[in-house]
Amino acid sequence: MKLGFYARLAWTGMQKNRKTYLPYILTCAGMVMMYYLITFLSKNPNVALIRGGSTLQGILSFGTGVIAVFSLIFLFYTNSFLIRRRKTEFGLYNILGMGKWNLTRILLWESAAICAISLLGGLFFGILFSKLAELLLVNLMGGKASFTFTVEPNAVASCVLLFVGIFALIFLNTLRQIHVSNPIELLHSETVGERPPKANWVVAALGIIILAIAYYIAVTIQDPIAALVFFFVAVVMVIIATYLLFVAGSVVLCRILQKNKSYYYKTRHFISVSSMMYRMKRNGAGLASICILSTMVLVMLSSTVCLFVGTEASLHGRYPRDITIETNTLDEAQTNQVHQAAEDVLKEHHLQPEQFLQYRYLSLSAVLEENKLNFDRGLLDTSSLNNTGQIRQVFVLSLDEYNRLTGSSETLAADEVLLCSTKTDYTGDTVTLQKESPKKIKKIVPKFLQNGTDSTQIFPSLFIIVPNFEQERQAFREWAKTYAEYEISAEFDFYGFDLSGDDSEEIAVRNEISQKIQKLQQENSDFASVRTDSLARNRAEFYGLNGGLLFLGILLGIVFILAAVLIMYYKQISEGYEDRGRFEIMQKVGMTKREIKKSINSQVLTVFFLPLLAAGVHVTFAFPMISKLLLLFGLYNTTLLIAVSVACYLLFALLYVLIYFVTSRAYYDIVSGAK
Amino acid sequence: MSILEVNNLKKVYTTRFGGNQVEALKNVSFSVEKGEYVAIMGESGSGKTTLLNILAALDKPTGGSVLLDARDFSKIKESEIASFRRDNLGFVFQDFNLLDTFSLMDNIYLPLVLAGVPHREMERRLRPIAEQLGILELLPKYPYEVSGGQKQRAAVARALITNPRLILADEPTGALDSKSTDELLQLFAQINRSGQTILMVTHSLKAACHAGRVLFIKDGEVFHQIYRGGSTKETMYQKISDTLTVLTTGGDRK
Repeated sequence: MKLGFYARLAWTGMQKNRKTYLPYILTCAGMVMMYYLITFLSKNPNVALIRGGSTLQGILSFGTGVIAVFSLIFLFYTNSFLIRRRKTEFGLYNILGMGKWNLTRILLWESAAICAISLLGGLFFGILFSKLAELLLVNLMGGKASFTFTVEPNAVASCVLLFVGIFALIFLNTLRQIHVSNPIELLHSETVGERPPKANWVVAALGIIILAIAYYIAVTIQDPIAALVFFFVAVVMVIIATYLLFVAGSVVLCRILQKNKSYYYKTRHFISVSSMMYRMKRNGAGLASICILSTMVLVMLSSTVCLFVGTEASLHGRYPRDITIETNTLDEAQTNQVHQAAEDVLKEHHLQPEQFLQYRYLSLSAVLEENKLNFDRGLLDTSSLNNTGQIRQVFVLSLDEYNRLTGSSETLAADEVLLCSTKTDYTGDTVTLQKESPKKIKKIVPKFLQNGTDSTQIFPSLFIIVPNFEQERQAFREWAKTYAEYEISAEFDFYGFDLSGDDSEEIAVRNEISQKIQKLQQENSDFASVRTDSLARNRAEFYGLNGGLLFLGILLGIVFILAAVLIMYYKQISEGYEDRGRFEIMQKVGMTKREIKKSINSQVLTVFFLPLLAAGVHVTFAFPMISKLLLLFGLYNTTLLIAVSVACYLLFALLYVLIYFVTSRAYYDIVSGAK
Repeated sequence: MSILEVNNLKKVYTTRFGGNQVEALKNVSFSVEKGEYVAIMGESGSGKTTLLNILAALDKPTGGSVLLDARDFSKIKESEIASFRRDNLGFVFQDFNLLDTFSLMDNIYLPLVLAGVPHREMERRLRPIAEQLGILELLPKYPYEVSGGQKQRAAVARALITNPRLILADEPTGALDSKSTDELLQLFAQINRSGQTILMVTHSLKAACHAGRVLFIKDGEVFHQIYRGGSTKETMYQKISDTLTVLTTGGDRK
């Protein structure tokens, strides 16, 4: 009987506030669903069976962590909004003679109900959609789907555990808030008179400075490694600056406008400017959150879509030919044996090599300092290096080889070289190798060669074309001695070709060549190491990685959008209640309903679309950095990135407008409910 | 010359549930001369607020007419009502109705800004009014920083700044302490002496006895009226008190 009483109180309380509770519960359920989906996929044995599946599951389990942390923060934030609205009710109960213990019991019921509904709903839809997600994922990765429907008990368990934990924490936090306040405070907590927002010039200036620095970093960054390091610095700075500017900068702006009397005392501006100030003070943080979430969605989606679309391209960057054989020596006896092995296998399969490519080169890592390349291995120990941006992978090719590969007829004097730099520009007229005399750079040539090593490394590469290859070969042999313990030399022979057969044949050819070479190595213990690769064999891995990233990008994008929608909705509702009183007063002092509606409309629109606009600016400035980062994944297609980013932004804007129309209905319902 | 004429005013509400008809005003007629200070008294539910809402053009009567300067309210177009109200009527409310997002000065400026008056002209008008009401120092403050009496004086300034034909006051002393009430009533008397017509709805005896004439409303009709004539505030108080006694003990109309 008594039990039922508290449960009923909790239930009616939630029903009376369903305008705020329903979206909250829906969001909770949405979070549960997303969490289940990702956990399900990361633990699903079917996914593990797909080629590249384990890579993907690794990425997905990272995603579960992100969602768990985000859910915790976000649900805490939205719950504080709910509690603020209900404090009056609790104050009334308290004055009517309910002790804090009784309130605790009501709250306990309430939390339990919300927890149960969102878990059941979320799991129901999660399980319902899990098959869909699995099919989508398998499709993305180019695998074949099975049509059995499974429920992952592990995923369900971790879902329940996580969200019961989060709701328990939220419950305890609410209790803390109720217990430290007295009933009168509770009763009036919603109507505390509000001070006019103070214009905080220092904070606003700080926001501008931080944003300017972050933008400067993003735009000026040159090499991808620095981009990787500074990306997170810039992200954190932009987040801080966004909050500062939305909260303080906007108020300062309104203050400046107010000081301009002939601007301020106009019908059009008078009410908008002064109410905007209050709106921004109250909702600045919420708007900044929306802006940041939007930016994250945009960056995540555009980069993952780009990566996925460019998978084939980066695959070809890593494996320039269907079959690639890299022999770690320039000893002609050995390389000829390797080439022969490949030709034999092709003959057995009656296949003709296409796009045949063979070249010899020297390669070592070096540190670039003032146009000098230093090959000392001690310097390369990252622990002793404070600027990883100086590391270069150096490739040396002979002029003959270059002319043959490019079909050109360059000539070089003995002290001249051609130079090609990837990922970053080379500045300087000369280049010096170790202690040799400086070489004049006759010409900077564009990228002429796809090299797997270059595309796997985050470091920029320098291709140096020299007239006297054999001389450099001796020097490199000397410098490579420090690597003797790894039994590798600086000399490489690349041998590759395309095949017209299907993937399985390609893989078979590769395996047979590899076996033949292994035999050679067994016969001769001095035989160099050889790396044999097939593009087809690695395709699944690549799609596993990029497909997984895209999938995660989409799922996290949905979660973030969900969060942004809820914040917007609550913003509209709380503004609606605040504006209702003002709406009445303005009418009494002689404004027509039309005038009021127009004024409010323009304010709401400004406030609503500010985050979208700011997100657009953020993404634009982040663009150079993102394109540099994508270089690390072997994606060189900037046009693709621009197209995808713009498409994502437009799509997102469309969604945003849709959300605006839905949530502004709630706002106008509340405001016009007054009259 | 009468500034306001109210003829056979009638207002019927239909309740939301059950559709019962409630007659808030049966048949109200009176007129207000220019420069007069009229108080309307009556108990809760007597129809005072309904009457004031109709006079303020916030509500439409079911029957009868209201004429301000011989202009019939019902003839004014819907789109012009707001600007008509702004230009001709000044309002003082029980709960001040100041916007908390504006400083007192901006609150007072509000009707002028809406009317598109240039800033220089606004400043010129504000100064004498603010001086008269003693709020010159308070102008840059916000509503939450000042007392109820000060808020109400700012509201009076807002009502006066448009030079309205008529000031409508709805229980202006209802939310004030006795000292602020006295001050505000002094102020009203002073404003009235300088030629401003005031119509005040109240159920405070103390407020009503400052007026030049008191109308009593009961059950939606004007029940009785008292002119001050040459009598002092004390005798006026006594007269009103007697009338209220008759009203509440249920006397018939004489």
